[in-house]
Amino acid sequence: MANTNLIKDEYKLDIVKYRYFWLSFTGILLIPCIVAIIYLMVTQSNHSPLKLGIDFTGGTILQYSVDKKVSIDEIGKIRTDLQKIGIKNPVIQTTMDAGMEESKSEVKNLISIRTTFIGDKESKDKVGEITDVLVGDFNSAQLVQVNSVGPTLGSELLRNTLTALVLAFVLMVIYISFRFRTEYGWIALLTLFQDVIVVVGIFAIKGIFFDTTVDSLFITALLTIIGYSINDTIVVFDRIRENMRFLAKKYSSGEIIDASINQTLARSINTSATTLFTLLALYFFGGATIKDFALAIIIGVIAGAYSSIFTAGTILSIVKERIEKKHA
Amino acid sequence: MKNKLILFWIIMAITIASIFVDYKKPASLGLDLVGGSRLMLEARTSSSVPKITPEIMDSLQYAIENRVNAMGVGETIVQRIGTKRLLIEIPNITDTTKAKEFIGQTAQLEFKRPKMLPDGTMDWESTGLTGKDLRKSLVGSAPTTGEWMVELEFNAEGAKKFSDLTKELTGKQMAIFFNDKLQSAPRVNEQISGGRAQITGGEGGFEYTEAKEMVDLLNAGALPVGAEVIQEESVGPTLGQDSINKSKIAGIIGISVVMLFMILYYRVLGLISCFALIIYSLVNFAIFKLIPVTLTLTGIAGFILSIGMAIDANILIFERTKEELKMGRSLFTAINSGFDRAFTSIFDSNVSTIMTCLILYYFGASMVKGFALTLIIGVCLSMFSAITVTKNFMHLIFGSKEMKYPELFGLRKEDIENAYVATETKREKAKFGVLD
Repeated sequence: MANTNLIKDEYKLDIVKYRYFWLSFTGILLIPCIVAIIYLMVTQSNHSPLKLGIDFTGGTILQYSVDKKVSIDEIGKIRTDLQKIGIKNPVIQTTMDAGMEESKSEVKNLISIRTTFIGDKESKDKVGEITDVLVGDFNSAQLVQVNSVGPTLGSELLRNTLTALVLAFVLMVIYISFRFRTEYGWIALLTLFQDVIVVVGIFAIKGIFFDTTVDSLFITALLTIIGYSINDTIVVFDRIRENMRFLAKKYSSGEIIDASINQTLARSINTSATTLFTLLALYFFGGATIKDFALAIIIGVIAGAYSSIFTAGTILSIVKERIEKKHA
Repeated sequence: MKNKLILFWIIMAITIASIFVDYKKPASLGLDLVGGSRLMLEARTSSSVPKITPEIMDSLQYAIENRVNAMGVGETIVQRIGTKRLLIEIPNITDTTKAKEFIGQTAQLEFKRPKMLPDGTMDWESTGLTGKDLRKSLVGSAPTTGEWMVELEFNAEGAKKFSDLTKELTGKQMAIFFNDKLQSAPRVNEQISGGRAQITGGEGGFEYTEAKEMVDLLNAGALPVGAEVIQEESVGPTLGQDSINKSKIAGIIGISVVMLFMILYYRVLGLISCFALIIYSLVNFAIFKLIPVTLTLTGIAGFILSIGMAIDANILIFERTKEELKMGRSLFTAINSGFDRAFTSIFDSNVSTIMTCLILYYFGASMVKGFALTLIIGVCLSMFSAITVTKNFMHLIFGSKEMKYPELFGLRKEDIENAYVATETKREKAKFGVLD
């Protein structure tokens, strides 16, 4: 029938036909993420799937700018010097603005020192002492940023954060179920889970190998991803719903889903691409403070586009077939 | 067509007004951009104050506001967070050691006695009776005149000191200094031994607020409720300036790449979306300045991200319009149905973003709130920009003309020709609703 071509016209991807391939492929991609998450949950004393920053554990981070690159030996020296003044296990990291050498930026090299919480009472001069040590080691050292979070506030922030995440998930399911059908809501939730696992997993891997910690900004990124990456899924679902309404009698649900995914492919990719352009600009030029934040959303946007194309449709086709079989 | 022109001029008027606002009104920048410190204090309960009441927080907030203001470092902000926390924002000061000491200080109430200087002028000297000897203070009114006054109640030691002092100074003047400022200097008529005293406001008398302020301060000084710093963020001015510069670069590059992409992929439509995007940015900034939204580093990140998201709606509309064109619709109907069809997707996806932003705003720390707020404003505005501005421009430019150059839309000629050739089957399809 000529009409078969109608929805076959623009096929670029055979999603539903090879759905088990795509699902297994996705599964394989997820394995390292899940392994990293489990590894951290088992090995860390707080059983968190990520290495937590001071926002959640409490602590103090002091950032100093210096005018030259910092060698590993120099970091070692700072560490021993700090231990001499009674700072136990300081975590010392350096950040450099790669590729910004020619820029006029004044803040090129940052040394950040993470310690336990320096409060206001008992250790009034601790910050001063640390600064003295740094200036002793680097003449140009200048305290440019202080972040300090008390331990009780930290655990409270963590609790708030988890509540916010759960709430976001629940609201998304309710909203999608309300605007579409219940099964769409649950599938949207699955794709969201997948997106979040990818982002959390990659940051868990970063944590294992580079000691990357996550702060409230990371959670902000996760919530933004939940709100944004569902957009692509909505676009696909919207098209599937529309096509179902008009084509359901002529075509199988698999064909309609495939057609819908292909019809919306360009816009799924383009909308994600434009968002990625702005995020990449933030990542490369936005400065050290929001680098990881931008990275998390970048991963999330890519994961969101992927899951809306390869996960949402495939699972929906399986569910729809089950429903159809039941009715048949 | 006439309505479309009116709308166009309305859009232009809004844009020009926005440019005006952008130019004239300075942006309010957050501490992480101008440099400064943010301290979070938490009131601590103790055996004598087992519960933090709103009244205690009032006194605490007032005491701290006064103290921070007394540092004379410009616009400080003290804000209540939750039931037992205060957020203090101090611009320009990165070394918080001094600030913390200042905040830790108690309110200085001092009773002084007159002292003759060798050159014959009169001065006051300390007596050792201070605010530390107070149990509490209240706002009261004088029974005879009805004037507002501050009633002091001394503790045991204070009562004795006060009794001794009034005995010593009977017939003379006694001065009450508050934070080194003379409040009143009443004449002592007799020894006062009840452990109570009043401060009247001198000749002019106290305003109620004045008396209340002093009571708040005295109580904060006298109350043993400790306040502890539980969070601190300080950013030096160089880092702040650096962040501003970097955000600007990132923003400009981000917008440019997005625009370039849109023009390359969607041609004339892309160009239209670029103008819409410029208007969007101008209006968005004007809104930030009018509300005003304090721009922080994350807030700017939210704004830059919203640019990438704002264009999403345009993409959905353009793709849909192209699709309608391929199906052989006239330009005018293709534009209209492109908008109508894309609208549900745009609406649903924006609602989902707004919902998560609201959650962020509600649960997030102040840094996160800035991001959530700019993103919410951006997403709401982008709906207006995509649906009103882009649509209006498209109608005005293309009107009801025939489509002559499909290349302008990033379409191939064959796409359109095929559509016209297939008119008959199209009609068939229309029966089961592919088109409508």
